[in-house]
Amino acid sequence: MSLLELTNISKHFGGVRALHDIDMTVDQGEVVALIGDNGAGKSTLVKIVSGVESPDSGEIRVRGESARLVSPRAAAEAGIRTVFQDLSLCDNLDAVQNLFLGQERSGSVLTGRRIRRHVMEEQAQRILESLSVKLRSLHTPVVALSGGQRQGIAICRALISDPAVVILDEPTAALGVSQRGEVLDLIGRLREQGRGVVVISHDMKDVRHIADRVVVLRLGTKVAEFRRGEYTPSDLVSAMTGAHEEGGDL
Amino acid sequence: MSVATETAARTPASRVIELAGRGHRSIPVLVVLAIIWAVFYSQSSAYLSFRNITNLTLQIATTAILALGVVFVLLVGEIDLSSAVLSGVCAAIAAGLAVNSGLPLPVAIAVAIASGMAITLIEALVITFGVPSLIVTLGGMVILQGLILVVLPPEFTVSVAGTSFAKIASTAVPAGTSYVLAALGTLAFALYKAYQYRERLSTGARTSPVSVVVPAALVAAVLFGGVYILTRQRGLPMPVLIVAVMLLIAWYFTTQTRYGIHLYAVGGDREAAQRAGIPVRRMVVYSFLILGACAAVAGMVDASRQLGVSVTSGAGPLMLNAIAAAVVGGTSLFGGRGSIWSAILGALVIGSISNGVQLLGLTTEVQYFATGSVLIIAVAVDVVLTRGSLWPGRRS
Repeated sequence: MSLLELTNISKHFGGVRALHDIDMTVDQGEVVALIGDNGAGKSTLVKIVSGVESPDSGEIRVRGESARLVSPRAAAEAGIRTVFQDLSLCDNLDAVQNLFLGQERSGSVLTGRRIRRHVMEEQAQRILESLSVKLRSLHTPVVALSGGQRQGIAICRALISDPAVVILDEPTAALGVSQRGEVLDLIGRLREQGRGVVVISHDMKDVRHIADRVVVLRLGTKVAEFRRGEYTPSDLVSAMTGAHEEGGDL
Repeated sequence: MSVATETAARTPASRVIELAGRGHRSIPVLVVLAIIWAVFYSQSSAYLSFRNITNLTLQIATTAILALGVVFVLLVGEIDLSSAVLSGVCAAIAAGLAVNSGLPLPVAIAVAIASGMAITLIEALVITFGVPSLIVTLGGMVILQGLILVVLPPEFTVSVAGTSFAKIASTAVPAGTSYVLAALGTLAFALYKAYQYRERLSTGARTSPVSVVVPAALVAAVLFGGVYILTRQRGLPMPVLIVAVMLLIAWYFTTQTRYGIHLYAVGGDREAAQRAGIPVRRMVVYSFLILGACAAVAGMVDASRQLGVSVTSGAGPLMLNAIAAAVVGGTSLFGGRGSIWSAILGALVIGSISNGVQLLGLTTEVQYFATGSVLIIAVAVDVVLTRGSLWPGRRS
């Protein structure tokens, strides 16, 4: 049984066909890379799976059960969490406050919803450790942290609700070499935890390094799918650009 | 990780900037305050006399209360220009009801506070509709200048001399009671810190009793020191107690509750706050409601101290002083940075300058020059801290 299963997903914006009959699965402990040129439909597909947009047709199954992802909240409740490229962190808040933003552990109305900081800190510590994200202090505003650490906090935030599937939008873009390695390790640890991971990326090197499977989109359709080790970089490029259609199609 | 190398490459100056940018923003203000006090004290030893310090606290009470409201609005990344005139309007309503209509004082006070909140609610709704707060509150200020003429009786002035209204500011809490209040305050704070310490122990977090003893000792020193100095004349002035209670409530809600985190989140990054499910617009409305209540209290304290309300109530430099106080105290104009302590610290800085200038018999020009310069320097410091670097075009 797949953690996430998309069948015949289509989406139109006015007369423009953004996605056409997309099939895709994500299994337990599997990293699936989603690649494609600009305008290939990656963002639209991510928005549909994260509940920001609704598909015109097609079915989404999470852990085998049909799911209607009408809002980001509904997607989160179904077990799908998305880390967007801009990370959506509040720079002036510290790591713990960011991790629990919008889902703080707090006391009753009588105390004015007093923050139970000790509970949050303990959970934060556990989740950060589970992905080996190292911070000098939990009290530092995240603006003072490195790009890799910020990405780590954004991913850990997705894990607060223990999702089955984590979607990462361009997690390594705009990172230095060492931080990029750090984030790729993070993705590896998500896989070890048995979660399904979808990574949207532009970077062929990262994709080859981390992905168990690669799904290639072009002009709103899925043009190819490769398993680890069954493709060369030029296969990916030709599938993305449509240089020779039959390249490595299954 | 490249963290170690980054730190090593930093100059001492940039490290100081980084430290000051992280929650230790009260320290620069305290340094500035110490310098101002030292300068004026060297000119006249009467400046730091018990009598003058008590006087100073009475002078800054109105500014501090209004600045507290302004801090809440600045924290969500908005601005307000109308609350000083609003304080005049609320004072006119309260004085009119209590003195001219003969309503009981508590009722008059409640109506004034409700009116202040109703007016800022309207402003906030227009702001969340999409009109910039600068424009809404600028227009609001002009409208309220008209409204105060409507609210005041035909002679455009209400005298509160000799009434219960005047007692708001002139009441002094006896020294004995003040010490009991200080002791209760210290005890409550120490117990709260001890409770937090036990909470942290229960999760096995690294902590030590120092986290209870040091803050409690600090609070005790401030409370007992304050009471000792301020009760030398007649007792603890009521406006000081009002400011203290308001600060206490504001401290709890901004630093200890979910509301506080959401307040800072909205000011830090609205988009991110929205995505996290925080009701951004509602948070903006809350801030303006708090400002409305603060403005009403500030107006009534001021009217009680001036023994009357007139068309000039809330006019003059009060608005700019309140904004300047919040900013000088370390609250960022760009939202999300600062604390409620900036209201009292900034009001102290600005009040200390004007008090000293008057005490030394210097001309008004000097006061304006000094206050204006301190404001600009404070914002320059804020820019440097926000940017994290001394020079433009660099980020740490």
